[in-house]
Amino acid sequence: MDGDGDGQSRWCLSQVKGAVDDDVAEADIISAVEFNHSGELLATGDRGGRIVIFQQEQESKSLPQCRAEYNVYSTFQSHEPEFDYLKSLEIEEKINKIRWLPQKNAAHFLLSTNDKTIKLWKISERDKRPEGYNLKEEDGRYRHPSSLTTLRVPVFQPMDLMVEASPRRVYANAHTYHINSISVNSDNETYLSADDLRINLWHLDFTDRSFNIVDIKPANMEELTEVITASEFHPLQCNTFVYGSSKGSVRLCDMRASALCDQHSKLFEEPEDPSTRSFFSEIISSISDVKFSHSGRYMMTRDYLTLKIWDLHMESRPVETYQVHGYLRSKLCSLYENDCIFDKFECCWRGDDSEVMTGSYNNFFRMFNRDAQRDATLEASWENGSPGCPLKTWRVSAGSRRKRNEIGVDCLDFSRKILYTSWHPQDNIVALATVNNLYIFQEKPN
Amino acid sequence: MGGAKCSGSCLEERRRGRKTDGFGMNRTQYLCYMLGKGLKRKLEQEEENVVMKMSFPQEASPTCYWLQRQTVLNLSLLKLHSHPGHSDPSLARRVLITNTLRHIQDELRGEGVPVPQSFSSDGSLLSVVDGYRESPAGCGVESHSEGSLTPVSRLEEDKHLLLYLSPSVTRQQPPSSSAIKDSFTSALAEIEDLCPTVGITTLFSSEAGHSLAQSDLNSDESRQTHLDLSEMNSSMDSASSLSDSAQTVFGHTPSLLADFSLDDFLFTEIDSLLFDSVPCSSSLSASLGASKVVSMVTDDFVKTLTGYGNGGSQSALPSNQAFKLDLNELDHIMEVLVGS
Repeated sequence: MDGDGDGQSRWCLSQVKGAVDDDVAEADIISAVEFNHSGELLATGDRGGRIVIFQQEQESKSLPQCRAEYNVYSTFQSHEPEFDYLKSLEIEEKINKIRWLPQKNAAHFLLSTNDKTIKLWKISERDKRPEGYNLKEEDGRYRHPSSLTTLRVPVFQPMDLMVEASPRRVYANAHTYHINSISVNSDNETYLSADDLRINLWHLDFTDRSFNIVDIKPANMEELTEVITASEFHPLQCNTFVYGSSKGSVRLCDMRASALCDQHSKLFEEPEDPSTRSFFSEIISSISDVKFSHSGRYMMTRDYLTLKIWDLHMESRPVETYQVHGYLRSKLCSLYENDCIFDKFECCWRGDDSEVMTGSYNNFFRMFNRDAQRDATLEASWENGSPGCPLKTWRVSAGSRRKRNEIGVDCLDFSRKILYTSWHPQDNIVALATVNNLYIFQEKPN
Repeated sequence: MGGAKCSGSCLEERRRGRKTDGFGMNRTQYLCYMLGKGLKRKLEQEEENVVMKMSFPQEASPTCYWLQRQTVLNLSLLKLHSHPGHSDPSLARRVLITNTLRHIQDELRGEGVPVPQSFSSDGSLLSVVDGYRESPAGCGVESHSEGSLTPVSRLEEDKHLLLYLSPSVTRQQPPSSSAIKDSFTSALAEIEDLCPTVGITTLFSSEAGHSLAQSDLNSDESRQTHLDLSEMNSSMDSASSLSDSAQTVFGHTPSLLADFSLDDFLFTEIDSLLFDSVPCSSSLSASLGASKVVSMVTDDFVKTLTGYGNGGSQSALPSNQAFKLDLNELDHIMEVLVGS
């Protein structure tokens, strides 16, 4: 991580995807990034409701230097904007989350969701086509049976690779509020979808019904003080899931206990530090993302200023706490004013759970090495790094800029933020999204 | 992002002029604001003492605490009432803002400041949130959202709030005291120079009342710093549209912003403003801590204003301690309030 003493990391930029001009169309703003289970495919969703899937370059996959080369594999329109006539409100087509299903056959499946509707997409390749029909000409015209004199057996002929994405299921009308999370169960048959007040359990095959497993809507909406912000299934136990709330607590529920899991099995909550109390204490404690470790033993939560690692066996406090950008603590009022305080940052685990990563402002992202207890601040910028060149680490200082690769807090650009990140499940390749660009970094092999 | 721009032209058409978000701007403008134009902070010469600012502790002098609380209160109100327009407002965001607002209002109430009924009853705020009403959901059956059209219900709520607002607006004309008028107005002018947005914050503070009543301070010394509202109004141009803007808060957000001068309010660095007011409070502390009385005061409250006759530097400390004391008492008061 902090490779050597002079502020060099072992990470280098591999690729940048997307337009490099400053003029950003809102539809192109990336809103979801997700590797699939093998790491071969990388899906991104944007505010225009489109999904672009990148595939790892097959030939160079085995070469250590260029294993992080991804090329466009498929592009399709996942969600369209809708209009809710009852409430006279638009339903945005923005993709909130993408989750891949484990691969069972040659085709790939993913779930994508906007605020209201979840869709199951099948992405399949076609590189052969049948030719030589008897009753159909090559251009599609039909031949009259009486004109046939001989019969032939159609054969498959190779064709240019075509990647097709087709919607296989549409799970609609089950959420009154905005969907913020989807998570595929380890049983590979069910998945959950969570909105602000409810969590529903679906079976992948059935679109006309879902079971409500968590409902925190109060009888009187005026008493509402807490909402669900993130939710995930345990990676190994199909009966266990967690959900984070806007008050900074995470509840673990066991579906074996009851049909409606309003009673949590475990409550993970760290008592507030009274010395840092402010008007914004609640807002900055709101959980923006929760992710289980690959091992299933730990859970990571992201709130506005910190990353916390929890041992599932201990509810009283996290086992590790990492400051992502503690220098913002004195800027909270400004960040409240410009709404940045409501930004929902995601976080992700390295494949072996030894490192975690999350985004920050000024196109910085933070890497935390749990084993070595070291952290690094890196920048996603195509100006400052050439592919293959190791990234320099940054420091944010309270005062005015001092040394090279140091930046003052007041120089940070809060419009450039990295909210969405994903780590390759088996390799040290990370993908993250700035406002409209996708960055892919790889760790140097040695 | 490479790939199909699905019917690109019609997508763009749909986007034009829709989705008002944030502060009355449409989505494109808001995006420009968020994405490119206003947020990069430039390092300036004056920022040499930024080190001092950054190390500024949270629990500084009560003036800054009050100022920050006022700012947060105003921001919260502004955020809650700026409708995004075409698309659904985020429930999570509104809940967080409402909780922050409630917290401040509870604090104010705990300090004995009269909070107008419209804001203390959380229902009026949150029912703005609740455009969603649904049929009772069976086990796992999809839930449809029925209920009234949100824009109409919101309109009604706004009127309701407005009705409550106007009486409190008229209540802001306390009898002027000739006693310390001169020292007060001069102090006021000083404050105004240093903290230009204070005038804006005070407009909202009319609803919340003054926040500096310290009931456990020495009540023997009654302070004669009656706030002369008319004086204030004349000295602050933004205050001239007081009743006007109070109505426009719930009406058209753009005109509200126009009154406040968008640049001043939205792009002012609140934090440096607070840090700036450190010298502000210390220099004014000699003049009876007049900075504390900048906001408008109701008749009731004037009687409870105490303890600042000693002069600021001494009063700063006990009131600081009083603030810390209050937090503990506040918990108790909150329990009582919630229970009632």
